[in-house]
Amino acid sequence: MSAAVDSELTLQEKQEFLAHLSTCKECNEEFAEAKKTKMIIKERIVQFKAPQSLINSIMHLTGISAGEQEETLLFE
Amino acid sequence: MMKQEPTSRKKTKKESLSREEQQKQLEFQQEAVIHLNSLYNYALHMTMNPDDAEDLVQETYLKAYRFFNSFERGTNCKAWLFKILKNNYINRFRKNSREPGKVDYDLIKDFYHSIKDTRSDTTETESDYFHSLLHEEVYQALLSLPEEFREVIQLCDIEGFTYEEIANMVESPIGTVRSRLYRGRKLLRMQLEEYAKKYGFNTDNGQ
Repeated sequence: MSAAVDSELTLQEKQEFLAHLSTCKECNEEFAEAKKTKMIIKERIVQFKAPQSLINSIMHLTGISAGEQEETLLFE
Repeated sequence: MMKQEPTSRKKTKKESLSREEQQKQLEFQQEAVIHLNSLYNYALHMTMNPDDAEDLVQETYLKAYRFFNSFERGTNCKAWLFKILKNNYINRFRKNSREPGKVDYDLIKDFYHSIKDTRSDTTETESDYFHSLLHEEVYQALLSLPEEFREVIQLCDIEGFTYEEIANMVESPIGTVRSRLYRGRKLLRMQLEEYAKKYGFNTDNGQ
């Protein structure tokens, strides 16, 4: 079930899983719930920004000068 | 101290370094430094303390830079960094501090509020109150899970690692990761349903 939610099934497993879902109401509901849980976590958890002091010290550490950093550093 | 000509400063600095070192810096920046925010968040969730998180991330990057040559090119650098961070965490904090699985709810709440105001990515207005409330509840629900469950959920759902990468990080077989995810999510869902009921959310649809 987890593997299905996370798209970690092999092609064959996936086909079998989908075939099973179409006949099993219970699993169908559980699958929907599990997907929803994953989505909630993904969307609701706040990602904090690293403090500037930390960014600076990492830059310093790796020898990247502060001027360069602003132009090129892109956070995901 | 700061000169107004960053380009010339840059040049002198670069010229003093070997070509190899320059290359390494550039690559490290592109591959590793871009994950700084993710690492910081992971560290925050583990230590529950902004200062400790900062130390941990710094230590991780220090180590990563030193051993960057041993990073297998073409593999996931973020996963590699997370693994280093986790090892650092174990060596540094877990040995002598909290018992695993014990969560102090007041600590979570204080922690959440202390960093929410200053370091949140999202700007929340009054009308978002309900949303932010749910935010917090999800966060608390997640933190209330036993660490082994919380960890895999975090790595999978928030950071988007594959099962294989997670298995490697937590040093357990993929099957274990799978079942922890399953059980962890189930626990989490039960928690969230409680909150949802409490605040009158309908759990049957997305909102």
